[in-house]
Parts: sequence; C-alpha cells; structure tokens
Amino acid sequence: MPRVYNWQLGREMSYWYPEVRAKKQFGAIFDVNKCIACQTCTLACKTTWTSGKGQESMLWNNVESKPYGFYPLGWDVKLLDMLGAQDWKGKTYQGKTIFESAPAGERVLGWRPDSRDYAYPNVGEDDCAGDITKGAHMTLPHMNWFFYLARICNHCTYPGCLAACPRGSIYKRPEDGIVLVDQGKCRGYQECVKACPYKKVFFNPMTGTSEKCIGCYPKQEQGLAPQCFSNCIGKIRMAGSISKPDQMREDNPIDYLIHVKKIALPLFPQFGLEPNVYYVPPLHAPAAFLTQIFGPGVEEATKAYLNAPNDPDLMGLLALFGSTEQIIPRFRRVGGEMLGLDEDGTELIRVPIQEPKYIRMAVDAARGVLLTNVP
Amino acid sequence: MAYGRLGRRTWMAAAGVLAAGLWGCSRPVPPAPVTEVRAVQVAALPSTPEDAQWGSGEAFRAPLILQDMVEPRKMVAGATEVTVRALTDGKSIAFRLEWADATEDSVRDAARFTDACAVQLPSNSGPDTPAPQMGEPGRPVEIAFWTATAQAFIDGRPDDLKSLHPNANIDHYPFEAPGLEKTPGKAEEMAKQYAPAKSLGNIVSPSPKKSVQDLMADGPGTMRPAPSQSSTGLGRRTGAGWAVVITRPLPSGLAPGGTSLVAFAVWNGSDGDVGGRKMRTVWIPLTLTGAKKP
Ligand code: SF4
Ligand code: SF4
Ligand code: SF4
Repeated sequence: MPRVYNWQLGREMSYWYPEVRAKKQFGAIFDVNKCIACQTCTLACKTTWTSGKGQESMLWNNVESKPYGFYPLGWDVKLLDMLGAQDWKGKTYQGKTIFESAPAGERVLGWRPDSRDYAYPNVGEDDCAGDITKGAHMTLPHMNWFFYLARICNHCTYPGCLAACPRGSIYKRPEDGIVLVDQGKCRGYQECVKACPYKKVFFNPMTGTSEKCIGCYPKQEQGLAPQCFSNCIGKIRMAGSISKPDQMREDNPIDYLIHVKKIALPLFPQFGLEPNVYYVPPLHAPAAFLTQIFGPGVEEATKAYLNAPNDPDLMGLLALFGSTEQIIPRFRRVGGEMLGLDEDGTELIRVPIQEPKYIRMAVDAARGVLLTNVP
Repeated sequence: MAYGRLGRRTWMAAAGVLAAGLWGCSRPVPPAPVTEVRAVQVAALPSTPEDAQWGSGEAFRAPLILQDMVEPRKMVAGATEVTVRALTDGKSIAFRLEWADATEDSVRDAARFTDACAVQLPSNSGPDTPAPQMGEPGRPVEIAFWTATAQAFIDGRPDDLKSLHPNANIDHYPFEAPGLEKTPGKAEEMAKQYAPAKSLGNIVSPSPKKSVQDLMADGPGTMRPAPSQSSTGLGRRTGAGWAVVITRPLPSGLAPGGTSLVAFAVWNGSDGDVGGRKMRTVWIPLTLTGAKKP
C-alpha cells in the first residue's frame, strides 16, 4: 500500500491510494458546547435529501447523546473494540489505523450494521445515570454527564469508503474534497458501508445502491453553507475549508481556529482517515473519554476555549458561527466587531464581539408599573 | 495465477490424451469424463430449469474456487461445484446452472446480500483469450448475471419497504402528498429526485421484467452494463440449492460447430458474498454441436 502523510497522526501511514489532496478541502467546526439536540439539522437534511423510498432510516446528519447514544447502534465502540487499545506518544499516533489493521482479504478493518442497528436513531438520548439527591440508581462507567454529538460525513482526506470500493464508484472532488458515491456506477456491494468507521454511507434497499451525505454541494458551489449548517438553531456550526498545517492561512476562520487556536479536534483521528469535521470538545465531560474520541489535543483545546473572554479574535470568530448562510472564507476584526469576508475581501457579515447590554430598571417610575422580562 | 490464456490449451491437450488412450479398446469402458461444456443444438430453447430438454445435454461439473486475486475477497470456500448444461438454437445459447445452497437469500438490505450466479464468455471467441478473472484491457468479457432478488420481484414480491420489514411504519413520502395526482407525472418526477440511482437508469435498481443483467468488463473493477440488455433467465429453488437458466445471444463470432470458452461464478448471500466475494471457475472449453456454416 502507498505511504501517505496524515498530519492528525503526526506520521505517515499506509493507504490504498497515493496521497492526492483536493485543491480546497471542505472543512467544518462544530461547537459541541452549544448544541441543544433539537435535531433541526437532522430534519433539514432529511427533508432536503433523504425522503425517498429506501431512505426511511437513513440520516446523513444525526445527533446522538454521548456516551450512550449511537447511530447506528454501537458504531464507534464496535470498531474501537475490533481495533484494540492503541497509544499516542504526545501528538504522534503509535497505534494502527483501520487501513494498517485490515485483515487478510480486506482493504480496511470494518463491520456492517444490519437494519436493526439503524432502527433506534435516538437511542440513549439524554441518558445520564445519577440522581442528584439520592445517589445513582446504578453504577456505570460514565456518571452524571452527557453531551450531544452532531455528526455528518467527514469528507475525509483518506476516505475509508473510497478505499474499500472495488469498483471505484466513490470519488473525492478535486475542487472541494467532497466525497460522493456515483449513483450511476455503484452496484450496492456495501463495501463502503463496512469500511466507513463513522457509518456515514448507507445502503438503500430500494435503489440497490449505497448513498451518503453530499456535503450539500449544490449549495456550496454557490458559496452557501450546507442545510444542516444554515438551519442549526444552536448556531454551533461553521463551514469553510481547511488547509494542511504548513499551508494554513491565518485569515481563514477554519484554519485559524484549528491550527492557530487549536480549539477544535477531529473525531477519532486514530482511525486514520484525516476527517475534516472538527469539534470543540465539551467542557464538562471527563478528559479520558474525550481523549479517546478526539485524540490528544483535548486539554489544550479546552484551555483555549475557556480563555475566549480574554481573546477578542476567538470570541469574534465564535460569534460568526451561524451568523449568515454564506460560507465565510476570510475574517478580519475591527475593534469590537468581527467581519466575515468573501475571498476578495468583500464584507459578507459583521457581528459585535460582545452583544450590547441594555440595563432596564425593574420599575418604570414614570408610568408607575413593574417591568418583567416575559418575552 | 496459472489460469491465464494458457488454460485453454492445457484443457485441449488433456482432452486429446484421453481420447488417444481409449482408441481401439474392445471391452466396454466407463464413459469418458466430460471435459467441456457442450451446447447441444435444439429447435427451441427451454426457458425453465425443469424442462425435459435439458436431459439431452451432458452435464459438466465445474469445480468452484475462491476469487483470490483482488481485495475484498471471500476467505472461506462455499459451494464446491456447479453443474452446467448448455443448449443452443443457433442464435442463442442457454445455460442451466445448478449448485448447492442451503438458504434462499433473495432480500437485499443493510448487510444482507442476494444469491446469484453468472456466465462469462470472451467477447471475441478467437484465440486471443482474455484472463478468466473479468477479462483484461483490450480483451473484454461478457457476463450474464442472474440474481435471486430480481427473480423475487418478477415472481411477485412488491418492491417496497413493507416487503422487507412488514411492521415498518412510514408516515409520509413527499411525492405521495394528496393533490399531486392532479398533475400527471408530477409524483413520479418528485420520487425520482429522491432515487438518484433510478433516475440515472442504474441497472441494479430493480427492474421487474428481467432477472439477468448483461454486463461487460475488461479487468477486475471495470464491470459495466453491456450496450444491449438482451439476456433472460429464470431461477428456481431445488431441494438443495438453485437451478437457474440463463439464455443469451451467441457472442459475435460463435456459431454451431464453433468453440469458445466459458466461466461461471456463484454467490451465496447469507455468506456475505457480493461483488468479488464469490466462488468462480476457471475457463472451461465450450463447444457448440451442429454443422459449421461453410
Ligand atoms: S440544529 Fe444545531 S443545535 Fe440543533 S441539534 Fe443540530 S447541531 Fe445541535
Ligand atoms: S466519513 Fe465515512 S463516508 Fe464520509 S468520507 Fe469518511 S469514510 Fe467516507
Ligand atoms: S451537509 Fe448536506 S447532505 Fe450532508 S448531512 Fe448536512 S444537510 Fe445532509
């Protein structure tokens, strides 16, 4: 197998094809701390793309409660179990990726969920053992915490789905790195379903082909953020493009947050796909759990995030999340405002870094009435 | 692998040695082992595997081996042989394949695969034989591929979710919204938007009329629909497995009295067989009986 460089692992690794990077790679950041599990994103995708026959239990976007929520059932823990315990040494991964641990006869280490695994998309929602006053009803490895993990296809730099397809029916667009299944060419072998560790390719029994998140490319081609981004109620998402660390551009919001501020981390980097959706880790979950799913940068990311009130650039960028449907390729801070700019510097959006404060007295003396804050 | 273009010559030589050894024997001898698929000429080809005409041809028992060239592969052998008979009417050739398979797998769903079988012929029946593993660049092969899923649709299984999951509850499909029927074609057009493979005419999307796909390939991973979809087929469960008839037009250059090569493959759905995860044969000599046209 050819050797390729995976910067998330800090080392070279084996991959089915040689390293070919997209001219521009679609990348995104999800701030886990802001997600309210309203599932508006899930429905935005569903109504736009997957309302057809055979797509009934297919959610290209899903939001699950960690640690006990999974869609499909056990998607991550099953693979972690197959992979076995692996190590990081600092920021260099010492263990094996899913490509390096492929068994004989396979291209990738993976497993296939069956239809029952897709039948409970919101299993474990808000599950958090622990009764505050009377103690926990039962003892579990993870007590008294949970967080919402919103997931879409990661449009990986080294997609497992693409490596596994023996027909070359999956391709990565050179212009934006979006990974697509060619619906005219796919023959429904489900090798991609087996190989994607994130389980973001789905078999459609009515068309006989495998289908996946298309990164809303018709929107992105017009400079617009995907449906699950622009409809996000919690404004937790920012879409854009991500560069390799040595080619990053400091005025690109995604590059800046990931490479300079280091507040967002990839999901299961150890699988070796260089996924391109990054997460600001939740502040209240145990570091050991977070390190398992986001890799070794958790402490650093949390520290930077907590320092945001003293960091106007960071504050401003976080305020840009969900502020416009347009993708923001560049930014510039001007005093107390953060500007979202187009590639050519045209202003797309302007947000205050601190929302203005209005102080109202509880009593309106002139009218002699009490004021309340009922919306 | 040794089953390249040499395969054919080796087979022919083996058949020659056998024939020489038996020449001149006066005592009754056991019938010579069948070393080729002989397509016997008949007036009209049968369309079902039960047809009595199949008795007129010799059965060839083709050993099955694992596809062992490209990943992903099947690692544990399944069916060990496929019994083949062939008939021709001078225009088309019909193969009857029978193999053991304890379970009927005709549903395709997440992690569920269909039983299937295929007949492969070189596109060109001349001496320049392609590799038996899906052909090779410049030497294409033609494949007729039967699936139990398509057979089930033809036999009347509705093509909907309820037939896979009887207790599934579906609230709503946007293309079934009341009122759409007032504009002819509107609902179908909307449904197509949510079924890109069907909109693109992908032949794996169910077609209730045909159980066989015509495909061609010039190497592993290159299989694509053939320009003409003219093969037909019919599969039936036997006590122990499947009996399937696949009928296809004679490939160009092959006529009664002529020879070519043929290879077969079978898939067992419940073993996870799909694509290259299959049992296959090597090239087998194929002879068409009947007089050669001058
Ligand atoms: S819409 Fe946004 S806030 Fe709501 S569940 Fe999705 S990611 Fe979370
Ligand atoms: S997340 Fe899965 S489906 Fe998406 S590109 Fe990566 S491997 Fe492929
Ligand atoms: S990017 Fe588009 S296609 Fe992908 S999950 Fe979001 S809404 Fe669905």
